[in-house]
Amino acid sequence: TLTVRVITPDKVVWDEEVQELILPSTTGQLGILSNHAPLLTALEIGVMRVRPGKDWQNIAVMGGFAEVENNEVKVLVNGAELGTTIDAESARQAYTAAQGALEEANRGEDKPNQLKASNNYKKARARLQAAGGAV
Amino acid sequence: MPNLKAIRDRIQSVKNTKKITEAMRLVAAAKVRRAQEQVLSTRPFADALAQVLYNLQNRLSFAETELPLFEQREPKAVALLVVTGDRGLCGGYNVNAIKRAEQRAKELKNQGIAVKLVLVGSKAKQYFGRRDYDVAASYANLEQIPNASEAAQIADSLVALFVSETVDRVELIYTRFVSLISSQPVVQTLFPLSPQGLEAPDDEIFRLITRGGKFQVEREKVEAPVESFPQDMIFEQDPVQILEALLPLYNTNQLLRALQESAASELAARMTAMSNASDNAGQLIGTLTLSYNKARQAAITQELLEVVAGANSL
Repeated sequence: TLTVRVITPDKVVWDEEVQELILPSTTGQLGILSNHAPLLTALEIGVMRVRPGKDWQNIAVMGGFAEVENNEVKVLVNGAELGTTIDAESARQAYTAAQGALEEANRGEDKPNQLKASNNYKKARARLQAAGGAV
Repeated sequence: MPNLKAIRDRIQSVKNTKKITEAMRLVAAAKVRRAQEQVLSTRPFADALAQVLYNLQNRLSFAETELPLFEQREPKAVALLVVTGDRGLCGGYNVNAIKRAEQRAKELKNQGIAVKLVLVGSKAKQYFGRRDYDVAASYANLEQIPNASEAAQIADSLVALFVSETVDRVELIYTRFVSLISSQPVVQTLFPLSPQGLEAPDDEIFRLITRGGKFQVEREKVEAPVESFPQDMIFEQDPVQILEALLPLYNTNQLLRALQESAASELAARMTAMSNASDNAGQLIGTLTLSYNKARQAAITQELLEVVAGANSL
């Protein structure tokens, strides 16, 4: 088993043992099992999945990195939310709104606004996916 | 002769005010404690981040990465992030931060540099909104105890301003928490990031203690435990890419610290201001009571004199 700690700047979102986990690395999905070699990877804004027992659980993570060493996985991210605590309906609405805002921003010339909108879109998508909604 | 009833009413109203200031002082004190707990809860994150930055620095020179956030440009426009509170009754806290920001803006304008403001707190929003300033964004009515998602949001918008080359430098103006009775507004450059000193984030935390029934604050230096990565550590991506993914975390952490320090300063300033106000109210009640008693005695003497004079004249 692996000890997984998901840490955001102001709290620890997950601190439990899991059988395996899948990380949304910037170069694709990355599965980690026990006795993995020491590893450092950058994470996308996306969904990481952990399997404490039989069932998989989703955690929306807002970009950061993960460090694997001695069966300990430290996931440092800007924000994280357990899929079970996200309301799928409101996540869906937020996603649609963010999508609209991004299209709107891309039509304009305001670059800071575009960057912000694209970030918000990615975050909304991650939350919706973690809540189990299809994108 | 002073009006007895008027003095009595005045004493009552000062007493009521004292109750309010006393309550506000206690509330602020309780919140300082919560703010302090929150600062402690950011430690695991800050420590882990410091460790990875330290190890990454051994593998690559940050100055040569050519990441956008390290890019030094000739400043033509500078964004100032000004952190104030949402409410008053906290002594000079808001005014000092605003004054410092105005002074900095003036310095920059004199050098021919355009100034954009990003404002936190409705006090700054009110003040600069009424004057001739270019306000890029403002955040008001945030949580009293700053949280990471708000910090991340503000950090994102600052990064967007810098990376899109709308501004060439981003400076933070916040109130550094020195002690319960002293805090000072400081200016700190956020972007471009300086390649040195990134791995050792400001490692000071403060804690509130009670000594002899009085609140006191201690600042202490914390040494982040730094361990090297094992030699065979796999880097799933290029170290530069990992650094790039990690910088937003660093920014959020920096901003969260600034917000926390400011919030703690605000609460401390309010505590001090309210405790002074309570003391003053106490003194005022004393003085008023004295003049009330004098007036009362004068009235009694007067009445006695009248009675005696009346009896004598019979």
